[in-house]
Amino acid sequence: MRDEYLLAALRMAVGIDPVPGRVSADARAAFKLRLPGGIIAAPVETSRPHGARGGTLETNPSNAGSSGGRGGAPGLWAGGPRLHRFTTPDLTIDVEPVVADGRLEVAGQVSSSSEPDPGWHVEVRTAHITKTRELPRSGQFAVGGLPVGWFSVVCHRPGEPAVSTRWLHVRP
Amino acid sequence: MREVTSMTAEHSLTWLDQAAWEDLVARFDGRMWAVARAFGLGPADAADAVQGAWLRMVESLDGIRDPERIGAWLVTTTRNEAIRLSRRARGEVASGHDLPDAVVPDPAAAVVDADFGRQVWERLETLDEPCRSLLRFSVMHPEATYAQTAMRLDLSPGSIGPTRARCMSRLRSLVGDAV
Repeated sequence: MRDEYLLAALRMAVGIDPVPGRVSADARAAFKLRLPGGIIAAPVETSRPHGARGGTLETNPSNAGSSGGRGGAPGLWAGGPRLHRFTTPDLTIDVEPVVADGRLEVAGQVSSSSEPDPGWHVEVRTAHITKTRELPRSGQFAVGGLPVGWFSVVCHRPGEPAVSTRWLHVRP
Repeated sequence: MREVTSMTAEHSLTWLDQAAWEDLVARFDGRMWAVARAFGLGPADAADAVQGAWLRMVESLDGIRDPERIGAWLVTTTRNEAIRLSRRARGEVASGHDLPDAVVPDPAAAVVDADFGRQVWERLETLDEPCRSLLRFSVMHPEATYAQTAMRLDLSPGSIGPTRARCMSRLRSLVGDAV
């Protein structure tokens, strides 16, 4: 019997520290974040350096105004953001989250055997905010101004099931 | 509203609708919160651990094969997320992708229940000092450091960890005798 289970039962018995309403509200709202018919890409281990963030935030016109204003600043990624890679048999999603000025920025790249067609787009989802970006031929995308915490990336392709990453957690 | 307790193992969870989901939240979020807090997480991290467990369920709806153990699955997943958040808070860098594999529900999670907690309190009150005071304090102040605990209970800071482990072992024995 695990100690924390016993301690949790003891805490429940005396009724201290009930679950906050905001936590319950977020739990109820989580149901809307499911992706019926979607595919969850499998996480794979990567060796760091190369990443999706190489200049993406400032050089990709489709991302203008979306990065929170700090993309590409010298030294911003000191130590480097962590690269997360998720794959399906025909698609790879690379994701690099970083926290800047207390907000979450997510850069990434969708790779497949064919270049993204018009209509491909990604959603970067958090519990409360979802931001959408059309995918350029490079497959690169960047989104800023998100709340820190949990997020996932979903790639939509016309006529194909949506492909999502696992939920990732980022805090400063 | 569908009764989750009536589900059988043959059913997948893909039928879940918003009402059934909210029923799950009402039944289990208090237990999940209690586990995250008992782990010593502060309110913000505990909220993230609980939210993480629900999001893991969202991405696992097709993969949970034993719906009758959803409660144990949620509590176990909350504990797993609490462990990962605690490690990161301590600056430990995970190897690999740091994402959980499929969760195996821990049968012991069933003890996270207020009624059972009242039985445990009865056993706790029979412990000698300093166990009784130390465990009471641990229950009421899960975030307290060893130094804070030592000051409050007039114990040596270096003795808190070993003493608490010994006291929890005694309590587990008493509870084991009772169930």
